[in-house]
Amino acid sequence: MWARIILTLFCLLMIGSAIHFAPSRPRSLFASRANDGPHLKLMTWNIGYAELEDDSRAHTKDLQTVAETVLRNDPDAVALQELTGPEQLRILLGYLHGKYRGAVAPPGSSDRVEAVLVKDRDARFENLAVGEKYCVATAFHLRPQSQELVLASAHADAFSSVRRRVYTGEVVDWARARERAAIVFIGGDFNFELDSKDESHFYSDNVKHDSEAYSYLLKYFRDLGRDAGYTAVNDRRIDYVFGPTETVSVRRVEVLRGAGTEQMDHWPLLVEVAL
Amino acid sequence: MITQLRLEFLKLVRSRSFLLSFIALTIFVGLMLWGFYSYVEKKAGEGATAQFKYTYESKSYFNGLTFALYSVMFSFSLLIPIFVSMVAGAQIAGERNAGTLRMICVRPVSRVSLLLAKFTVVAFYIFLLMAFFIGLNLLVGLVFVGWGDLQIYPGALNLVDEPGKLLRDEALWRFVYATLTGTWSLLVIASIAMLFSVLCENPSIATVSTLALYLAFHIVGRVEFFEQLRPWLFTTDMDFWRDVFKPDMPVQSFLHYGSLCGAYTFGTLLTATAIFDRKDITR
Repeated sequence: MWARIILTLFCLLMIGSAIHFAPSRPRSLFASRANDGPHLKLMTWNIGYAELEDDSRAHTKDLQTVAETVLRNDPDAVALQELTGPEQLRILLGYLHGKYRGAVAPPGSSDRVEAVLVKDRDARFENLAVGEKYCVATAFHLRPQSQELVLASAHADAFSSVRRRVYTGEVVDWARARERAAIVFIGGDFNFELDSKDESHFYSDNVKHDSEAYSYLLKYFRDLGRDAGYTAVNDRRIDYVFGPTETVSVRRVEVLRGAGTEQMDHWPLLVEVAL
Repeated sequence: MITQLRLEFLKLVRSRSFLLSFIALTIFVGLMLWGFYSYVEKKAGEGATAQFKYTYESKSYFNGLTFALYSVMFSFSLLIPIFVSMVAGAQIAGERNAGTLRMICVRPVSRVSLLLAKFTVVAFYIFLLMAFFIGLNLLVGLVFVGWGDLQIYPGALNLVDEPGKLLRDEALWRFVYATLTGTWSLLVIASIAMLFSVLCENPSIATVSTLALYLAFHIVGRVEFFEQLRPWLFTTDMDFWRDVFKPDMPVQSFLHYGSLCGAYTFGTLLTATAIFDRKDITR
């Protein structure tokens, strides 16, 4: 009898302990600051289609929907991926009613390009050569006299983890050089396969390359959208906004699921930080 | 009670499954060592240091502690549960099958004491198994691979979200903790096997039933479209044992999931004792 009473007590103790120690909310690595500086809202969005479609690049007929999502969320700068070229950017800027300026990267060896949109009228744009591809970045200010901000739009290779690693390395090295004079953010689709469901691999090539590339990014930048969940179909978190490790506080991170059209395989990632 | 424990322990040590489990784990370590060597030779040849340019400039990722970590992680989910089920599943059903259960039960020892003594011995066996396996892996790692710091990257083993590093001495302590957390976690399987052992006439059926339940939950927990079920599977809670290898141990969730494992263990054991106490033992 005593043995059963003791077992019951142990069982109840364990249940009580489990309830007491239940993590009420996911642990956040983001520190909170008492002082709230000016807020900066950034968005990254791969507006292309899933690979199943005939043309997996962005479709011009969707640009109005893209513009509506941008206008509704009012980000200060946007990193877009998989546009077909400058013509699509021109159309998109038209739908945005002159509220944003923008630039696309040169096509390089790819059939699709990255783009950036920014509200600041005095923003500058620059291209970064990464192997045979290009990134595009914008340097802008939230307010006159405030510190310069930089947002780069990146899109790493979807099919080769080796190319993703090399690409990431080049982008990070470029961003680090820019960090001396500005607060740098990198937004884009990096296609990292880090959340592998199969645990039995032995640090396989793909995981190894992606892990190393991601590690290299985290060595100098913070993954601001980490708590927002998956950003693409099949529960993949492959769109990121990386920012400085210390100088900003995250205020809001959200994946705008439901935005875009049915054929699109990514959702926009919106990050709001206090500077 | 002490005599009871001593007798049960002697029975366990003399059983074939006891020796078999240690031999199998030793062979597994040998296999892992061969796989590790061939993998490192193939993947971390001359180009390896260049490939690490983008991480920690690490030239010593592959070391004995990495070897031990992978070996322990791989075996914990699928190999060690087999031996735990086998030993725990044979405790009551094995006696019944051998025709000795009735004889034991007519002795002036309560059935609850008998069951708890058997479970205590199984718990000690699990601890021995874990300590032996981890110790052997570390020894083999030291002798054949060499030691260094333990570096953990995101993606690999799904252990951390960001790159981390445990210094050698700290990492060794984490392996010691893993012996205890691994034992605590495996007690869930042991208690389920004990319950099946009480319910089944044959030890093989008890073992297979336990493994079937464990593997079914293990697989379901890894299939995407069962994501909503994951929090309700004991296999999800059992994973808490790995948290000791995280550079920043998530103490709250560690205690939460550890407590849930305890609740499963004691709850199942309580059920087993209640059934065993009332069971009509016909042979």
